[in-house]
Amino acid sequence: MLEFDYYRPKSLPELKENLSQPGALMLAGGTDIIPKMRKHKFKPTILVDTSGIPDLEFIEDQKEEVVIGSLTTHQQIARSPLIASVNPALQKAAESIGCIQTRCRGTLGGNLANASPAADTIPPLLIYDASLLIQSLEGERTIPLESFLLGPGKTSLEKGEFIHSVSFPRLKDRWGAEFIKVGKRTGMAISVVNAAAAVLLDQKGRISDARIALGSVGSVVIRCRETEGFLSGKNPDREVYAEAGRQVREEIRPISDVRSTVDYRLHSASVVVSRALEAAVEMAERRNE
Amino acid sequence: MKNIEVEFTLNGKKTSLSSAPNLTLLDVLRDELGLTGVKDSCGGEGECGACTVIINGKPVNSCLVFIGQVEGLQVTTIEGITPEDGYHPIQRAFVEAGAVQCGYCTPGAILATKALLDSNPEPSDRQIREGLSGNLCRCTGYTKMLDAVHRVIDEGQDD
Repeated sequence: MLEFDYYRPKSLPELKENLSQPGALMLAGGTDIIPKMRKHKFKPTILVDTSGIPDLEFIEDQKEEVVIGSLTTHQQIARSPLIASVNPALQKAAESIGCIQTRCRGTLGGNLANASPAADTIPPLLIYDASLLIQSLEGERTIPLESFLLGPGKTSLEKGEFIHSVSFPRLKDRWGAEFIKVGKRTGMAISVVNAAAAVLLDQKGRISDARIALGSVGSVVIRCRETEGFLSGKNPDREVYAEAGRQVREEIRPISDVRSTVDYRLHSASVVVSRALEAAVEMAERRNE
Repeated sequence: MKNIEVEFTLNGKKTSLSSAPNLTLLDVLRDELGLTGVKDSCGGEGECGACTVIINGKPVNSCLVFIGQVEGLQVTTIEGITPEDGYHPIQRAFVEAGAVQCGYCTPGAILATKALLDSNPEPSDRQIREGLSGNLCRCTGYTKMLDAVHRVIDEGQDD
């Protein structure tokens, strides 16, 4: 293991001060960072351990929107009744990550900052148009999650900045949301493809708004806006879901790698998008106005 | 690289130590404190669960925790649940169900079982599989492990 100086701030001001030093890296749950430090993919000279700061571990209901502190663990999200009711896709995604050991340590902020194209928490946040509150010694800014993600492992975080919290607006009236993941097995799987879909239905039961996000099919998790546009105003049925699945293939550029191939990913993306839409519509239809 | 001072509760006892900050909890438990029940199998990737310990009631891979991160926390290892004489009921159930083959994954699997049953005394089959999905067994004795967990559910964790 490489050598570093270790800081353990006990407050947000102290954390900002520590992170402003050159060579500093923030340690959240450690489930991604520690193996990467062992392989020298990350080489901090200062490691800033956040385990002494409880302020970033929360799930808050602010009526119009829900705010999640960046150090909230996947297990806390998976077990939160609030998250299950406002963003069931995120609840399912958090529950599908790694195993209980990783979920109890890994954090939402860590999953976002790590910016894996296969990150499971990203698609359910993208379909809710989530934004991030980013802080540093200099101040703070808010940025949509979609513009925060720049490439595999690349984000818009500048030196000294950290994710304070993630917020997303509630969906209203007749809505439904679903997350589906394809992995090599059920436990401990990194997604070969993952998808989240949300739909809003109008009074006649037509789709008034559809949102689709797909992961592990390009350098970042993406929203499939052309397919979303196709769905708008449609009467939801099997043929529409199948057509959306076909259209989504045109919007993605998956690669072949250790986990899967281009063909398999195109096919799976198509299937999971159809299924996620169907499940989201069924959830929306169960909500009586 | 300066040493750090860490205070935590280990198997019920207050423990203070001075350590290099780049050691993991797994390194310290095995090499500094002699608690060799905790195993390193995948080499610090968090893939295998052999190094599972319980921290504040939750199962955690100790290879993915730097020693400074346990400041103020309660850590339980397999040694901490083993009585002076005999076995913990989960240990006995593993032995009786034949869920122990080479034994390398066993301490981790037993602690994952304990954390599961402490939070959910009557898990479904699916919940048991999920609770143990982070613990690899290369002798592939998974079915026997499920049998062992069912024995504990039927007979209880108390002696």
